[in-house]
Amino acid sequence: MGLWLALAALLALGLRRVFVGYPGPGLACLAPREAALVAAASEAMFPTGGEIPESGPDAGVPAFLDRYVATVPPQVRLLMRLLFFLVEHATLVFPGPAPRGWRRFSALEHGQRIAVLDGWRTSRLFPRRLVFTSLRAMLTMGYFADPAVLRRIGLAPFAVDSPVCEADLLYPPIGRPRSEIRYGPADLTPPSDGTPLRLDGPLHPDYRGGAQ
Amino acid sequence: MSAPASQGEVRVFADYERDFRESCDVVVVGSGPTGSVVAHELAEAGRRVVLLEEGPPFTPGEFELEGTLSMTRTMREAGLRATRGFVMPTMQAIALGGGSLVNSAICVRPPEFVFERWCSGFDLERTTRKDLEPHFDAVGEFLGIAPTPEDVQGPRNLLFASGCDALGYSSEPIARNVRGCRGSGECFTGCRSRAKQSMDISYVPAAIRHGARVLTSVQVQRIRSDGRRAAGVEGQVVEPFSGKRSHRFRIDADVVVLAAGCVATPVLLHHSGELANRSGQAGRNLQFHPGVAVMGIFPEPTHPQFGATQGYQSLEFLPDGFKLETLWAPPGVMAVRLPGLGLEYKRHLARISHCAVWDAIVSCNRSLGRVVPRRGRLDPVLHYDVHPEDVKIFQHAAWVLAEILFAAGAKRILPGIHGVPDVLHSLEEAEVVRRGEMRASQFVSAGNHVFSTTRMHGDPARGVVDELGRCHDFDNLYIADTGIFPQCTSVNPMYTGMALAHRTAQALVERT
Repeated sequence: MGLWLALAALLALGLRRVFVGYPGPGLACLAPREAALVAAASEAMFPTGGEIPESGPDAGVPAFLDRYVATVPPQVRLLMRLLFFLVEHATLVFPGPAPRGWRRFSALEHGQRIAVLDGWRTSRLFPRRLVFTSLRAMLTMGYFADPAVLRRIGLAPFAVDSPVCEADLLYPPIGRPRSEIRYGPADLTPPSDGTPLRLDGPLHPDYRGGAQ
Repeated sequence: MSAPASQGEVRVFADYERDFRESCDVVVVGSGPTGSVVAHELAEAGRRVVLLEEGPPFTPGEFELEGTLSMTRTMREAGLRATRGFVMPTMQAIALGGGSLVNSAICVRPPEFVFERWCSGFDLERTTRKDLEPHFDAVGEFLGIAPTPEDVQGPRNLLFASGCDALGYSSEPIARNVRGCRGSGECFTGCRSRAKQSMDISYVPAAIRHGARVLTSVQVQRIRSDGRRAAGVEGQVVEPFSGKRSHRFRIDADVVVLAAGCVATPVLLHHSGELANRSGQAGRNLQFHPGVAVMGIFPEPTHPQFGATQGYQSLEFLPDGFKLETLWAPPGVMAVRLPGLGLEYKRHLARISHCAVWDAIVSCNRSLGRVVPRRGRLDPVLHYDVHPEDVKIFQHAAWVLAEILFAAGAKRILPGIHGVPDVLHSLEEAEVVRRGEMRASQFVSAGNHVFSTTRMHGDPARGVVDELGRCHDFDNLYIADTGIFPQCTSVNPMYTGMALAHRTAQALVERT
């Protein structure tokens, strides 16, 4: 009986370490543990300071991934969730550096997280590297989705005029009926004349900073 | 049943209110570069054409500039489709215009040796480069294919030319189906300038002018047949982005042309009862042009966001098995290949404005895979392995890219090869790239040129279609996508696919 109680206690402790005790709520799509993992990983990948001051959380990486995961097909979403689960809990089996490396990824210290991710990155096992590459790809795209980051490195997209062409008289906005086609023959404009964009030209409105 | 579509119009998702059935002379499945050419040529010749497309039409206001979100909207499986075996992303567009909406518009005629190899190895008699020249010419004239102008090349493309010049390698501006490029570098997320002549703004509107009916947001699920004749296709309406299926449809046609893409077409044949597959070749012989890219960091800003997405190329090494070209993509996509973590990673990110990325597409003729359909799904499993001899071409290509980058003035390069230092500062250090034996899994690659899953062959026992794209087993079922290529093209495949589709369309005009 005592043995069974001990085993049950161990199991309960184990489950708690896996599923319970996340500090914050989840996001619209990401569960609390997924949100915690994404925040922790994005902080490790893009810490505050350095040549681009914005950190991953500053750049809204968790919110971006929340939107992204919500929009992908269900099968892909499942794979992403498995990836988050794997990275978050792998340190319970293969611990991070001491002290107290035997915790969930999101509960590790910053230096420990870096060390754990570097282990994935430089592993001799291709599947481990693949996990790292996939995670970093998602985090990086989220980081670069932030207009402030793009402005900081000088890669914000230009403002570009879109001429009205014959196709615009045929296609309505996606999801709308043909009765909502916005243009008629009188709206046609000359096609692009090939004038090169200027590096000092205006940026796309969504990427302009407050000062502009 | 709703009323049939009238001549010359587009239907979109919101137009379908119930199940429907229509008839035509020719139904074309897929509105990508090849299907659009077929639809246009037949409509222009007066045939009643229905062009079917699973994706929606996009207009500039609907383009996402951010790479991930763009792929989610315009690509199958959210752009995350990958091969098994040699794990490599491979994308297929789902939009009116197919891949032409989100590719970089490269139009290259393959060298003669590619067609000679095809003819001698696959019992073909009328598929020399000379045979196809009139078809290349016709497509080229329609789309205004021309070399990329100097003033929209931008520094990262011109640096490639200077590096090649310094080493005595040939290079040239890439010919593209573009009119009035402004150098926004956004080919992969949709051209806001409407300069790229993607099919949705070129061949498709022209086909509509000639009376073609274009039905978007319809997913073909089965080819109907009667003995050795195809009778039409059937499927369901699908909601854009969610893929949710609703009303059923059926199109009766005298001729069926499949241009659903190298991956989807064999799946469609399989789901139609292994149609046109007495040879057993449908879904086999899967080939790619895996890409190998190297990034260089230059002392001065390269302003990589400006300039044609892919403006320069070198065909110098085609006989060695690879083609070189310049490359740009949304910054978040390019950044994925940078090394490091934390502050080190940020240091690299901050230097992207000084970078140039050049890549090699590799002719992996020894490397084969297959398309494995899954029950009830149109997205299959793709198995693909890279032959060790082809890995040697990866190494050679990476070395040549390193050579050109340093010759162009790069201060360091980032090879992105596992087991090789993250950063190399000289050509001497770069020797490691070509020394020793490497494994394919050391390379980070992508393969968006896909071929040969319904290959043409003069012998019906060894191929799925004949030289004109007609299925050997069927009188009136044609395939007109890159699946019919006997092998890879060694250069970007869109133009060849369109030329072959043009020839198929002309044969159909004569026949019907």
